Amino acid sequence: MKMQQGFFERNRSVFIFALIALTMPFWFPLIGGYSGLDTKIMVFCIFVVGFDLLLGYTGYLSFGHAAFFGIAAYTTGLMLKGFSDNIIPAIIVAVIVSTLVSVVIGLLTLKRTGIYFSILTLAFAEMFHSMAMAMLQQWTGGENGLTGMPTPMLFSIKMQGDAVFYFITFVAILMFYVAKRIERSPVGLMMRAIKCNQTRLEYTGINARKYKLLTFVISAAYAALAGALMVVYEPFVGHEFLGWHQSGEIVIMSVIGGVGTLVGPMLGAAFMLYFENVLSVDLGEQWLLVLGMIFMVVVIFMPGGFMEAVSRLQARFTQK
Amino acid sequence: MPILDIHQVSLNFGGLKALQDVNLKIEEGTTHALIGPNGAGKSTLLNVLTGMLEPNDGSVMFDGKPLLDVQPHDINQLGIAKVFQTPAIFPEMSVLENVTIPVFAARDGSFRMNMFEGEGRQRPLVEFAEEQIAELGLKDKMHVRADSLSRGDKRRLEMAICLAHKPRLLLLDEPTAGMARHETEQTIELLQGMKGITKVIVEHDMNVVFSLAEKISVLAQGQIIAEGSPEEIKGHPKVIEAYLGEAQV
Repeated sequence: MKMQQGFFERNRSVFIFALIALTMPFWFPLIGGYSGLDTKIMVFCIFVVGFDLLLGYTGYLSFGHAAFFGIAAYTTGLMLKGFSDNIIPAIIVAVIVSTLVSVVIGLLTLKRTGIYFSILTLAFAEMFHSMAMAMLQQWTGGENGLTGMPTPMLFSIKMQGDAVFYFITFVAILMFYVAKRIERSPVGLMMRAIKCNQTRLEYTGINARKYKLLTFVISAAYAALAGALMVVYEPFVGHEFLGWHQSGEIVIMSVIGGVGTLVGPMLGAAFMLYFENVLSVDLGEQWLLVLGMIFMVVVIFMPGGFMEAVSRLQARFTQK
Repeated sequence: MPILDIHQVSLNFGGLKALQDVNLKIEEGTTHALIGPNGAGKSTLLNVLTGMLEPNDGSVMFDGKPLLDVQPHDINQLGIAKVFQTPAIFPEMSVLENVTIPVFAARDGSFRMNMFEGEGRQRPLVEFAEEQIAELGLKDKMHVRADSLSRGDKRRLEMAICLAHKPRLLLLDEPTAGMARHETEQTIELLQGMKGITKVIVEHDMNVVFSLAEKISVLAQGQIIAEGSPEEIKGHPKVIEAYLGEAQV
């Protein structure tokens, strides 16, 4: 009995997230969200939670995570087209392929820190992007993207409408729980220590390089899973999945929401996708201008993102 | 057999000979001070011992195992810990988390993929960290962020980090630099209390050196010019010359 209470208490944020996410089809249309956008938000929740383990915990800013997202998306698409319309083998193969790529990229890029690391990751992602556009065009469809996939199936269930929403939401809840577990594990402690003082960590007998690589690969696996699910959500892969714009969007979502909190980046993802798709209907291209302003205001006045606002409010209420 | 055996170590920075044929043997359980004027190579020598710098020549043996070409974290795992001139801690983490890290390092080695280890299994290690913190007098500050500690307490915390791994050799790079007098005295007391751990201490404050060291080596221009007990060193003509020589510059 006591243990169970501890379990609920420890995973409060997971339960709250599950509650909000699973009820989305009921309340999301009330604020103008359309069906399908909620699914897309869940896909990006997975992406940013993994990304936050890298950026928020170890402090390494990758500008190349679109590579893992895109590679997994293409792999999933090709698997659905050429192997089976069942999404399970497609997702598994996609995540494995993309994660293996991330091991190589991680080994090469993590030799550097700060801006050099960011630029290196960006360079690798752009390399894959141009490969998809040119060399591998017959596989990827180049400019037109990869199309012609059959309707994805979860064994005998068609991945459409509610089914795809609940499937992806279930995965998102699970992955959030996994991230929370990692956060509380010794590995999570080492991740934060990397951000704080790498020299001291090395002199404390910890191989910081291996922990960095592990974190990089975990976050890439999250990105890959999101990429695979993106194709399950909508059977299409565009070359922009691999582009720097995609990588940048993830960074902006994380920063707006509040890095290093896991929850914050998900808020950021929901916020950005919601505004991009709902409010921007009236604003058109001006939306990017508004987004830029929001981003600046957050960075200047609330460097901790939405989560800083939340904790400030919390502090005010508990004081009273 | 000495626990640390430095043999004919030389290191050049470009044309500058930072260390020249340094020979030094440290006996287990002793406190050995390295003194000498600025730029004599004291810190350089410590950096060689921690794997930060690779000497051009010579060998270093710790407990019969070679230390050269070994990574800093592996050197720490062998039992060598270093206290930095400016306390090196994890500033944005709590005192308890700071000390839990080396406790994990002691159990898991330099890397272990225990991504899903729950709090229940971590409990005994956290408790051990709590004991370590209490021993160094930081019990009340267990959950305080490390960067909010006073300088003296940061030094204590750093010691707690180093000691949690139960090192056999502790390297101290000017542990009292920039400290107020009462903090210096506290540090001396702390170090005197750590019996059984071999210590190599680089220090400018002669008061600290003479209250701690059983043996002193004097470095000047990358060479050891004198070695002996504190009494022998005090009156050594070469030592006086080296220090006065610097004073005239």
